[in-house]
Amino acid sequence: MAKEITDTARATPTATLSARDMAPKLTKLQKIGNSKYLGLILLAPAGVFVLLFFFIPVLLTGVFGFTNMSTATGITGGSYLANQSSMQALGDRHGFGELADQINQIAYTIDDVGLEAAAQDGVDADTLKELNTKFAGTSFDNRRDMERAIKNLDARPPNTRAVKALAKHFERSIINIRFESRQELLAAINEIGVTLTPDQQAAVIEVTYTGWVFSTDNFKRMISLPDTKKTLINTLFYVFTTLILFNVGFALVLAISTHYMDAGPSGFFRSVWLLPRITPPVLYVLMWKWLAWDTGFISAILGPFGVEPKNWLLDSPANAWTFIILINGMVGASMGMLIFSSAIKAIPKPLFYASEVDGATRAQQIRHIILPQLRFPILFITSYQTLSLMTSFEYILLATEGGPGGSTEVWALSTYFKALNNYAGALEYGYGAALALVLVIVGVVLSILYLKLFDFKTLTAPPKIE
Amino acid sequence: MNMRYPSTLAALATTAMISIGAGTAAAEDYTISVWSGGTGPNDTYRIDAIKIAAGLLEEEASVRGEELNITIEGKAFDGWEEFKQAITLGAEAGNAPHVVVSGHEDIAAWAQSGLIVPIEDYVDLESWPINNIYDNLLEFASFEGTLFGLPQDAESRPFFFWRDHMSGIGYSDAQIDALPDDIQSGAYSLSNVLEDAKKIQDAGLVEAGYGFYPRASNGPDYWQFYLSFGGVMEDGGKLVFDKAAMTKFYQFFVDAVELGVTKKNHLGMSWDQWYGEVANGKAGMWHGGTWHYKRYTTSEGNDDFFGTIQFGLIPGGGSDGAANTITHPLVYLLTQQEDDDATAIAAELVKIASGPRINALHAIKSAHLGISKAEESVDLYSGDRWARVATERLLGHASAMPNNVNFGQYWEIMFGGLEASWTGQKSVADAIADVETELATTLGDRIIMR
Repeated sequence: MAKEITDTARATPTATLSARDMAPKLTKLQKIGNSKYLGLILLAPAGVFVLLFFFIPVLLTGVFGFTNMSTATGITGGSYLANQSSMQALGDRHGFGELADQINQIAYTIDDVGLEAAAQDGVDADTLKELNTKFAGTSFDNRRDMERAIKNLDARPPNTRAVKALAKHFERSIINIRFESRQELLAAINEIGVTLTPDQQAAVIEVTYTGWVFSTDNFKRMISLPDTKKTLINTLFYVFTTLILFNVGFALVLAISTHYMDAGPSGFFRSVWLLPRITPPVLYVLMWKWLAWDTGFISAILGPFGVEPKNWLLDSPANAWTFIILINGMVGASMGMLIFSSAIKAIPKPLFYASEVDGATRAQQIRHIILPQLRFPILFITSYQTLSLMTSFEYILLATEGGPGGSTEVWALSTYFKALNNYAGALEYGYGAALALVLVIVGVVLSILYLKLFDFKTLTAPPKIE
Repeated sequence: MNMRYPSTLAALATTAMISIGAGTAAAEDYTISVWSGGTGPNDTYRIDAIKIAAGLLEEEASVRGEELNITIEGKAFDGWEEFKQAITLGAEAGNAPHVVVSGHEDIAAWAQSGLIVPIEDYVDLESWPINNIYDNLLEFASFEGTLFGLPQDAESRPFFFWRDHMSGIGYSDAQIDALPDDIQSGAYSLSNVLEDAKKIQDAGLVEAGYGFYPRASNGPDYWQFYLSFGGVMEDGGKLVFDKAAMTKFYQFFVDAVELGVTKKNHLGMSWDQWYGEVANGKAGMWHGGTWHYKRYTTSEGNDDFFGTIQFGLIPGGGSDGAANTITHPLVYLLTQQEDDDATAIAAELVKIASGPRINALHAIKSAHLGISKAEESVDLYSGDRWARVATERLLGHASAMPNNVNFGQYWEIMFGGLEASWTGQKSVADAIADVETELATTLGDRIIMR
């Protein structure tokens, strides 16, 4: 019978259609719910965030790292400006000193071209007539003299802006004028009667351009600077010491010790260890400074024992590192503690009961039950905190500013100093981005290394029993 | 009563009002934004001066029969870091304020990038009060021969002595009074500083490390010691690294640490602690800024400044250099804007705010120095002993850091080397060698190595 129906259905497509028609109609939402793209749709918002806050910044960092971008070049582009220093560079860098002298002339000339342009601009005819009568053919070698001549006219323009606008019509120089394109600059140079060879044109364009250009100089500079190696060693020391001692090590100690406590005390201790994390960083570091300054707590306590008060925080690199690792570690340990505690809670209780029946000690329970079960959380905390420590510098900045003598300057702090912090406002975005790019690359490489080291595939493989 | 009459009258009145309105110039409304860096509670006139100027400019317009309404939107930043980031990144996004109050050393980079426009394009330099501003301050506000801003204040960075401690090591009152002249003539040099600081400590007048108590963090002040040993910052528009002067400058601070008169871990200490200590005789000698006077005599509670403290130029380093001081004037700068009329109004406001009466309000309230000759004749200014004496003793000798695009990089490298040798991380020779390498790599032919 079944075979008959199938055969009939095959023979008459209309029968299939009517069967479909009989199925309940799906709403739009249900259709989306059944879609194989549902996962992608649900992940889309996260994707947008990853794109906006990870891929685009990384891409821009990559691009900026290969430029000489700075406060002086601006970010959005430059113009062409002939001034004293660019003309000096034309002589020094390209050997066109004579040409530089020719261009580097400021001149104002009262001529027909200027008078006509001023008339078209609506300047009062009496003013122009008087200017022509008194100064026709006269040249001035600076703006102040030109403006003074205009101001002394009987029919002088009514205000300073008008005086300056009138003087502008007689300017026969390109010095200190911004040109938006190289064509405009070259045309202006031509207008003042200077003819350039192709080599000279290229040199003039190069020295007068105020914007950023692509270059690999940042990386050459990074390699040749004596302090780069020191900063790298500082970074590795800071990241791995804090990570091993506190973010993983001490976090494990806290998680395991609170696991063996009663619910009340364990909850209390965990809350206490969360305090550094929820304290605002500026306040948190200030409290450490109160502890360490020469008028602070440590000096006050040690004073009666004959120890001279001193700035314990900045006394020596060893002191500074101790404080920095403690400051960061106290914050970092709390996160590991939370993750490890919840992972220990998820271990089935019968395992502990059974081990106790077998006479296992606490140490044996930790070694054979807890630690093997914490492999995945340890991988997560290690990877996450490595990246986090590598890029974090705020506590170091607040505590030591990289001192004493740059001994606690880590890579991320150095990047911040170069890109966003300069006493004279000379921010080097390009060099900062190149430094940041190194961090991105090291971060990605370390993440891959961790995944291999902890055998991530096995950790996430479906249980064999299924 | 015919109800049509009132409506006819109303129509007539409206027509009349429109006709009258058409007869006068339309009102011009401008909102001018002013952002000011490093502005604490004593520096409110950096912005308020522009507000006062706006009132005057409106009056001037009114006299000409025009209606001008100016609203000033001020924003003061306590520190510099956040302020400079806000300005540079805001300008890239097209949100720069019309007027910026910043250090003169920002002019070079900001002018090069086109962030600021020359004030010279908008104001007559021969008009009042610009024609009365000290020439050296106008020079410090210029770049590439063009005046970019007007000085908002002037200051100077003196060397201070605690009178009682100097008396304690045998100086008579007359000798202490003569110290400023002795410094200026070169009779009292930096080697005397170390010698006397040691004596003060050995006499038990101050604790160890308090004989010579320098500024607690990076600042323009440290360049003064480079100048003291004959260093030159810029020559013919190019930065200069004078190896011998830089070496002697680093060595001076290393010697101070080795003698025990300055702490090895001094840099990075709490500023609050520093102010409290120097203002109340815990240190023998130190250096600071003219604005410190305000803090010493107010929040730090020193009621007798002139009876307890002597001050002069930064002493010279002996035969190589001379006594000096650096002024680090803040300047009013105009940013590149779409609306050129608004920039022209902003320029007028800055010009008016630079008048002696208005500027004296800031000078006295913040214990900075005046910017113009006429300011010395304003009662408020001349009646203030500190302003009067500090202007006479220091301002005439003041130089400034160069307005050079690469100076910020040079500065950071110089201070990095000083810090490394001071704290013992590197020997002076190693620090100098590293500074030399870093300058050559970073600045190439943009710095002259001597």
